[in-house]
Amino acid sequence: MMKNKIKNTIIIATFVVFIYGIVLLKILVPDTEISYSERRHLLQHPSFSSERLLSGEYFKDYERYALDQFPFRDEFRSIKAYTRFNIFSQKDNNSIYIIDGNINKMEYPLNEKAIINAANKLNEVYQKYLQGMNVSYAIIPDKNYFLASKHGYLSMDYERLVKLMKDNVNNMNYIDIFGLLELKDYYTTDIHWRQESAVDVARLLIEKMGTRIDTPDVQYTQNSLYPFYGSYYGQAALKLSPDTLIYMTNEVIDNASVYDHIDKSYSKVYVEDRFGTIDSYDIFLSGAKSILTITNPSSSSDKELIVFRDSFGSSIAPLLLNEYAKITLVDLRYINTDLLGNYINFSENQDVLFLYNTIILNNSYMLK
Amino acid sequence: MVFSSISFLYYFLPTVLGLYFIVPKKYKNLVLLIFSLFFYFYGEPIYGVLMIVSITSGYLHGLWIDKLRESRYAKVPMISSVVVGIGLLVYFKYFDFIIDNLNSFFSVNISSLNLVLPIGISFYTFQILSYTIDVYQGEAKVQKNILNLATYVALFPQLIAGPIVRYTTVEAELKERTHSLEKVAHGIWRFVIGLSKKILLANTFGELVKIFTNTSNKTVLFYWMSAFAFTFQIYFDFSGYSDMAIGLGKIFGFNFLENFNYPYISKSITEFWRRWHISLGTWFRDYVYIPMGGNRVSTLKWIRNIIVVWFLTGFWHGAEWNFIIWGLYFAMFLVLEKYFLKNILIRLPHVLGHIYVIFFIIISFVIFNANGMGEVKDNLMGMFGLLDVRLINPETIYYLKSYGIVFVIGIIASTPLAVNIIDKMITKEIFKILIDILQPIILVVLLLVITGYLIDGSFNPFLYFRF
Repeated sequence: MMKNKIKNTIIIATFVVFIYGIVLLKILVPDTEISYSERRHLLQHPSFSSERLLSGEYFKDYERYALDQFPFRDEFRSIKAYTRFNIFSQKDNNSIYIIDGNINKMEYPLNEKAIINAANKLNEVYQKYLQGMNVSYAIIPDKNYFLASKHGYLSMDYERLVKLMKDNVNNMNYIDIFGLLELKDYYTTDIHWRQESAVDVARLLIEKMGTRIDTPDVQYTQNSLYPFYGSYYGQAALKLSPDTLIYMTNEVIDNASVYDHIDKSYSKVYVEDRFGTIDSYDIFLSGAKSILTITNPSSSSDKELIVFRDSFGSSIAPLLLNEYAKITLVDLRYINTDLLGNYINFSENQDVLFLYNTIILNNSYMLK
Repeated sequence: MVFSSISFLYYFLPTVLGLYFIVPKKYKNLVLLIFSLFFYFYGEPIYGVLMIVSITSGYLHGLWIDKLRESRYAKVPMISSVVVGIGLLVYFKYFDFIIDNLNSFFSVNISSLNLVLPIGISFYTFQILSYTIDVYQGEAKVQKNILNLATYVALFPQLIAGPIVRYTTVEAELKERTHSLEKVAHGIWRFVIGLSKKILLANTFGELVKIFTNTSNKTVLFYWMSAFAFTFQIYFDFSGYSDMAIGLGKIFGFNFLENFNYPYISKSITEFWRRWHISLGTWFRDYVYIPMGGNRVSTLKWIRNIIVVWFLTGFWHGAEWNFIIWGLYFAMFLVLEKYFLKNILIRLPHVLGHIYVIFFIIISFVIFNANGMGEVKDNLMGMFGLLDVRLINPETIYYLKSYGIVFVIGIIASTPLAVNIIDKMITKEIFKILIDILQPIILVVLLLVITGYLIDGSFNPFLYFRF
């Protein structure tokens, strides 16, 4: 009897300490604005009005706010990820999977309509601005191409993706870069490729765009930043080794300037103080920007390049700079195709490259 | 508000528990009522008024029935209470279904009301009816204190997804109930186990069902996996909710009756329904089946009674034809088992009885879970290889591997195996001590994992809210 009383008291005390402990933490720990691990702003206390209260909107928002501002949110997410992977032996957590410390996110299945939509978007840009110009396109495989099927995970049918693009994109040269890449060319904690591993790709692109038949090796200095926690790191919610981010410099890149057509501001190619912010990959050309022009004052030619790109393009663009006086980078996720004529003077002296990774193509409705 | 939410676990529950155990005894029901109304208001601000109207109607009808108890008109207020209760239920839950069917059968064009279903209306309507009918039948005393009746109906542990607590079950406890360390500790344990069933198992199976619904690469094996997964999802979802309700009830001093008793170990469909949603089954038995004569009538009338009860049971679950078919499907089995299968099932090895039950229960939940009869047909055809789909593909293999352990845990957790082992172990003192030490540790681990799942997951539906 006495033993039961002690046992019951311990159970009640455990429960009370746990839930009131969380309540206390909630009171003591102030709300935060940003989750660096999830790379997003966290919800703040919702605004109150009687209308929102009666419609149920206030409590719905409050529920989401309570989730976002929960004390030790990241640690609790880790517990969930650990349980899912190690107790339930599930192969992924929110589509994230980890092979030998390499974090990846499943992209499945191939959305054929989206691929055709992407091809049509390229054709639309061509018809509007690029007729008669030297236009090429290349597709960057995402990490699933190297990891997924080999380890029993689901991935897109990449052959079909390339075929659909080839069958539907008109008036452009396809540059195949798949063979130049392998898994080690990508960060283990991030979606992106490593800049230092994209040198071969940059050389091939320059050659295939016809700027040079034999591109000489360009010398770079490698600069390291550590620790680099990529976008998948936060999503994985587990303690894993961070990457080292390497960015390549030389005199050409150091002397170049970057003009943001929307902000009307100038910056350098690498913005080191972006390292350690929500997205450290933003050190390459300041991250997400709709139209940028990199000017190379050291250039001996007046050749220009226009790159329609996603975030992978930010890190490879500096490696193309040696061959061009100007490189204009367009991200159609952030600017409508119809507006491009307001910012860019298209001319036949320009090479044009569409460079997109497979995940963007498979979700191409984000291209405006 | 739902139990499986941060706002319930870490805002609502600590507040209500703190206040409930601080206030003097005479205010405890008031605290429960105020928090129960807030609990409902949190998820259904507007329809909170409807619930208060229903409670008031039940209260006034109770007084009216009591007043006319000795007169020849005593039936009038009882019938009136049924008409009002069922009338509101029909209006809010079934009106559009009736209109849609009138429009399609008679080619007319009556406008739908497009009403949103008030959460828990089927549960609290049945509870109020159990009160007024029991008062009429002399099974329960009239409740003269509206706060006590409102506390019974609105009591948040069982308000929106059952079990359907009969007034007679808690009549005495509304007035006088005891609180003890043992009851509170037992209630906490039961609540956390229920929450774990819901969040760790039901939601995980639900994810797989959702993946199946969304994929365009279905296979025969995937149709079966999804059907199995839903069978587990609905069990852990609903029985988990009942565990939470019973556990919370215990903490507040109430003893609600059990609602599930390992239904998937049944060896006949008749047995299954003695173990599944017991509070609904007994409600229909006591207030519909027995008043119609039960089984003390001719064979034809008995079959009629069974058909009526199971038509209503199906219809109670939702205003769609597939729910009605689902109910009648069980009526068919109950009749078949009584007249043909019972003797065969008794002679069969137990394992064949289990396979028979599981097979037809899975089929029943395919009917239950579909959006309309077209989907029922497609899903059944898919399961039996009558659609142009492959037997298996890499996607199916992936999800089979990813959810394999979850299925194994689901199978074990839906049987009394673990409980039986523990019961056997605690007969030895050493194991009892070990379990006593482990229990608080397991409690904390479960709370940590549950909280992690709540914070990281957005998939958290309660299936029985729609009833």
